[in-house]
Amino acid sequence: MSILLVGLNHKTAPVEVRERLAFTDEACAESLHALVDGEIVREGLIVSTCNRVEILATSAREHDAEANSRLEGFLSRARSVPGEFFRSHFYTHADDAAVRHVFRVASSLDSMVVGEPQVLGQVRHAYSLAVEAGTAGRVLHRLVHHALHVAKRVRTETGIAASAVSISYTAVELGRKIFGSLKGSTVLLVGAGEMAELAAQHLANAGASRVLVTNRTPESAQKLADKFGGEAVDFNSLAKHLAEADIIICSTGAQQYVITKEMAARARETRRNRPAFFIDISVPRNVDPEVGKLDNLFVFDVDDLESVVASNIREREREAERAELIVESEVMQFQLALRNLDIGPTVGALKVKLQRIAREEFERQRHRLGDITPEQERAIEAMLLSAVNKISHPLIHRLRRSYDTGEDENMKAWRDSFKLEE
Amino acid sequence: MKPLLYATLAAYVVAASHSVLAFVNQRRGADRVTSISLILGFVAHTTAIIADWAQDGHYPLFDLHETISFLAWTLVIAYGLAVYRYQIRALGVFLLPVVCLLVFASNVVRGNTELVASRVTDGSAAWLFPVHTTILFLAYASFFVAFAASVMYLWQERELKSKSFSAIFHRLPSLTTVDDIGSTAAGVGFTLLSLGIITGVIWSSARSGRMWHNDPIEFFALLTWVLYLTLLHYRTQWRGRKAAWLGIAGFVLVLCTFAGAMLLGGYHVFG
Repeated sequence: MSILLVGLNHKTAPVEVRERLAFTDEACAESLHALVDGEIVREGLIVSTCNRVEILATSAREHDAEANSRLEGFLSRARSVPGEFFRSHFYTHADDAAVRHVFRVASSLDSMVVGEPQVLGQVRHAYSLAVEAGTAGRVLHRLVHHALHVAKRVRTETGIAASAVSISYTAVELGRKIFGSLKGSTVLLVGAGEMAELAAQHLANAGASRVLVTNRTPESAQKLADKFGGEAVDFNSLAKHLAEADIIICSTGAQQYVITKEMAARARETRRNRPAFFIDISVPRNVDPEVGKLDNLFVFDVDDLESVVASNIREREREAERAELIVESEVMQFQLALRNLDIGPTVGALKVKLQRIAREEFERQRHRLGDITPEQERAIEAMLLSAVNKISHPLIHRLRRSYDTGEDENMKAWRDSFKLEE
Repeated sequence: MKPLLYATLAAYVVAASHSVLAFVNQRRGADRVTSISLILGFVAHTTAIIADWAQDGHYPLFDLHETISFLAWTLVIAYGLAVYRYQIRALGVFLLPVVCLLVFASNVVRGNTELVASRVTDGSAAWLFPVHTTILFLAYASFFVAFAASVMYLWQERELKSKSFSAIFHRLPSLTTVDDIGSTAAGVGFTLLSLGIITGVIWSSARSGRMWHNDPIEFFALLTWVLYLTLLHYRTQWRGRKAAWLGIAGFVLVLCTFAGAMLLGGYHVFG
């Protein structure tokens, strides 16, 4: 039994190539049937996302070479793209390497942003498509389940997904760092803008109970407030509302500081020194940097947030190295599990054992046969072995059937009764 | 008592090392080991102290060895309460190694029991001795927690202001949490310190009719008391950084109290 993986991803292929090879769910189901013939390719699964197109398949060991070229040909036919178009972007992995690749993909180690959570769902989805199509057999079942287990281990045992890697989410993380829980906190959104709105949305999702929105044009403020279920407040009374807010997101087109040091200091006094967190996403800046020098007030501008993101990404990469170790040990675990799963060695061991018995018996009785020619000796041996093979044939046939239908208990019984466990 | 104290030390060392491990690797498994070994250690420790008490017949706070061991014991209680209330295991990284050192030191040092025992057991109102000392030790343990919280606060505050974050930053609890712990611990410590001083004054006047002996420990205790009073009074105005610095200053005074008692001598005695 071999596990094969062919495909391309965001590292090896540009988007022009990836988009031509990507499968929709419907195409995926149809193609899976075309892919798996039960002879050469026994099981198949297609992972198709915006960052990768990969085909995972299993084949009987003797058909390895054939299976490989077949996978490539299949992709070319299924997407009606000539092989030359994507061949140079292609990677091929077999056995351990294929298992490792699947584990790394599921654990998000192979993602564009290491540690992003979506890819696990995409792997799960690809698997469910294969299960529906009936092309996932016992090896792929085992492999995908093991991959999900590895992904979970990586997520819980390393900090690979611990820190935020987007500006808006970094704002939430910093908010948590200052306030602990964001439940019950008040967010003041000054101005509008995609990033500011995204940050406000994240904060609201994280539990901020009140969102105040203000804008030079009251209509825009009202519109935005409706979006968050917040309240629009008068821009001219900004100083007053500043005192109510724990987190202030600034994103206006103003050319001068909208929040001055004096305003912030006064608000802090009203708040009895409770901390406040200013997120300034505007360029030029809207919050006087001097505000950040006051105790208990924290100001982060775009550059600050971006450098936090950059350092978080580096942190993730460091954690990814630890994750690779986990993957490596799990690949070994899986190989062990697979050995029990594979029917080949059991059949082989059974044959060897029966033949050995025949040979031993012949050796034992050899002296009673008196003088025989080497030819005769070979004939007797051939006869014995052929008898053994004929007798064991239905046994082995039955064994294979138990294997195919997944009757593990049965297989274990077979192994036990012939004492095949070394 | 020796074997029990060694067992205590071993359990605390396991707890402390796993606490550090959990902090570094952020693994929950290590946290469980910390909790379990800490509970086992605490049980052994408590048993050792009670056995000591039963054997010698005097409250186990006489010589230096007992004092240090008792201090460690109160620190473990303070840690347990803080973790129970705030779920901040990062505190263990500060506190548990200190506990280990104290228990180790108590296994090594020997003090002069006779001297202290005679000074405490004669005179009236001797029953106030355990009350006075126990309350004060618990107060000092609270101040240590306040100190650790202050350090965590200042560390994070500095990194937030400078906008560059170390690995430690991500492993510490939020600013608001450590601020909260700091003020709660300071409040508890202050209350206990007040009680400790009051019991001390009562005991002293019952023994000798004098309330004040002009000895360093009294001086520093009073100074500590005034400092924490200020801290709690201006709590809302000094929230955050200033409060954290005061928490550290207060703890330095507590250390001075101990050092003063040991080095300068006077009416109060340690070992």
